[in-house]
Amino acid sequence: MVMYNYDVDALRALFKNILTVNVPADVLNWLQQKGNFNTAFVLVPRKTGKALLQISELEAQELEAIIPGFSLTGWSVDMLARAYLLLELDETNTEEYFRKIENLFLAAEVNELVALYSALPLFAYPDMWVKRCAEGIRSNIGNVLEAIMYQNPYPQKNLDQSAWNQLVLKAFFTGKDVGKIQGIDSRASKDLAYVISDYVHERRAAGRDINPSLWRLVGPFIDDKLFEDVKWAFESGVYVNQKASALALSQSNYPAAEALLSSQPKLKTAIEQKELTWDSLTLEY
Amino acid sequence: MCCTHSFEDRISQDKDTTPVDLSGIKGMKFFDPHVHMTSRTTDDYQAMADAGVVALIEPAFWLGQPRTGLDSFRDYYSSLIGWERFRSSQFGIKHYCTIGLNSREANNEALAEQVMEMLPLFVYKEGVVGIGEIGFDDQTAAEEKYYRAQLELAKEAGLPVQIHTPHRDKKGGTTRSMDIALEHGLDPYMVIVDHNNEETVKEVLDRGFWAAFTIYPFTKMGNERMVEIAKQHGPERIMVNSAADWGISDPLAVPKTAALMKIRGISDSDIHLITYQNAITAFAQSGQINEADFTAGGSAIDQSQRFEGNTVLRGGQQPRIDKNSIIIS
Repeated sequence: MVMYNYDVDALRALFKNILTVNVPADVLNWLQQKGNFNTAFVLVPRKTGKALLQISELEAQELEAIIPGFSLTGWSVDMLARAYLLLELDETNTEEYFRKIENLFLAAEVNELVALYSALPLFAYPDMWVKRCAEGIRSNIGNVLEAIMYQNPYPQKNLDQSAWNQLVLKAFFTGKDVGKIQGIDSRASKDLAYVISDYVHERRAAGRDINPSLWRLVGPFIDDKLFEDVKWAFESGVYVNQKASALALSQSNYPAAEALLSSQPKLKTAIEQKELTWDSLTLEY
Repeated sequence: MCCTHSFEDRISQDKDTTPVDLSGIKGMKFFDPHVHMTSRTTDDYQAMADAGVVALIEPAFWLGQPRTGLDSFRDYYSSLIGWERFRSSQFGIKHYCTIGLNSREANNEALAEQVMEMLPLFVYKEGVVGIGEIGFDDQTAAEEKYYRAQLELAKEAGLPVQIHTPHRDKKGGTTRSMDIALEHGLDPYMVIVDHNNEETVKEVLDRGFWAAFTIYPFTKMGNERMVEIAKQHGPERIMVNSAADWGISDPLAVPKTAALMKIRGISDSDIHLITYQNAITAFAQSGQINEADFTAGGSAIDQSQRFEGNTVLRGGQQPRIDKNSIIIS
C-alpha cells in the first residue's frame, strides 16, 4: 500500500508558508508543538480564529502542482491549521494512524467534520478512507456533504462505481450544484445514466420538477430507452429543460438524437458556439 | 427535565383558548438558554424562528430512561455538536450546547466513571458554552461525587456551569449546590443556577449567581409568576428559558413570557436583558459565543461555513408547507 500518493514534504512546507502569513507567530509555534494531538485538533479555532484564508496566486499554483484538483479556495484559517496537524501525524504504523484519524471523525463537531472530510485527499493510505468517505456521503448535514462533493479530488479517484453513484444521486436529492463535483463527467457511466432515468420517471410520476443538470449524465449514453426520456424533456415545453436536453443530445452520436437536436437549429448553434454550456445552464437554474 | 402529570390535568387547565398574540414583541430577538431540541420536531424550530428566537443552548440531559453503555453517551454528545447543530441552522437559529453527565445517571457509578473520562474530549469543542446540566436529583452521594468532579472540570476548562436544581427538596438542594460550587472555588458569576422559583431566587441573587427560570407548565414556573418576579427583583442576572423537552412543555416559552412582560408594563430594556442579553453575557464567558453569528440579518456569518449557494443553510429558508391544507404535495 502506498503511503502518500503525492509529495507530502512539499505540501507540509507550502502549508507552513501559507500559515505564516495567516496566523501570528506564537500560534504557528503552538501548532508545531507536540502536545496532545486530540486536544490540539479540537482547540485550533480558539487559537487561529476562523477568518477566510489569504492565499497568493503563486501558492495556489504550487498547490495544484502538488495535488491536482485540490484547492484551498474558500477555506478558513482553522481548516488549514487542522489539515496541517493531520499532516504531522506519524503514518508509519498504519493501524495506529487509521485509529487516530477515525476517532476524530467519531467525536467530531460540524466544523471538524467539514475540515476532516475536506482533508481526505491529503491522508496517507488513500485506499483506507473509502469506507469513511462513503459514510460521509450518507450524512444529511449539508456542509459535510459539500466538503466531500465540491472541489475535492478524493471521491473521483478512490470511490468504486456504486459509492460514486450514491454520491451523485445524493447530490441531486439534496439540491447540490453537481457541476462542482470533480469528475462528474469523466466518471459518468451507462449504469448511472439508467439509475438517473428511473429517478426521472419517479419525479415525473410525482409531478415534481426535475433538475436539468440530470441530463448531463444521460447524454453520452443515449440509447433507445434513454432517448425517450431526453425527448420527453426536449418537448416538455419548459425552456430550461429543453436547453438541458439539447445539451445532452449534443453529447450523443445516437442518430435519432442528432436528428432531434437539428429540429431546433437555434439551440444547436448556441451549443456549437459555446453560448449554451452546462455551466451557463447551472447559473440559470 | 420534565415531571409526571396526567393528561386529565392538561384538559382541565387548557380551557382558556385565547389566541396567542405575539404582536407586542414583533421584531425583538430572543435567546433560549435551555431547550432540549433533540426531543422536538422541525415544526418547533420553525415556530421558534418565527417568534424571534435567534439562538439557543441545548444542555446535555438524560433520555427519559437511563443509558446503559458508554457509546450511547458518545453518540448523544456527538449529536449535540453535529446533527442537531445543523438541523437548527436550517431554520436560521444558532445552536450552542452544554456538555455534562446528568445527575440521574451519575448514580450508575461504573458507567459514570467512564463518561467522566470521555468528557474532556467534548468540552473543548466549538460552540460548547458550559458544563451542564449538572447538579442534584435525588441528592445521593454518587450525585455529589460527580457534581464535584464536573465543577473541577469546568474550572480547568474555563467554562460556565449550568446547574439543574432538584424538583424534590428544591430549596435545600439549591443552597447545597451553591455551597459546593463556592467550596470548589468557582466564581458565582460563572455559574447559572437553573429552575428557580419564588423561594430560591433571593438567595441565588444575593450570593452573586445567575438565576435562570424555567417557564414550564404544571411543574416549574408559570409566566405570570415570572412577571411578578421580574417586577420585584429587576432584570439583573435573571434569565428565562423553556427547558422544552419530550414532556408537555412549550418551546415558545421565552417569546411568550416577553410578550406577557410587555403587556404587564415591564420596560423593553428589561425584557431584552431577561430574555436575550443576560444569557449571552453569562454563557459568552466561555469564549464560544459570537453574537454576530446570529444578529447579522438573521444569517450565520461563520467563515467555516465556507460554501455558498446552499440556500437551505441560510437564514431560515426551509420550504414552507401550508398546515391548514389537507393537500400534502
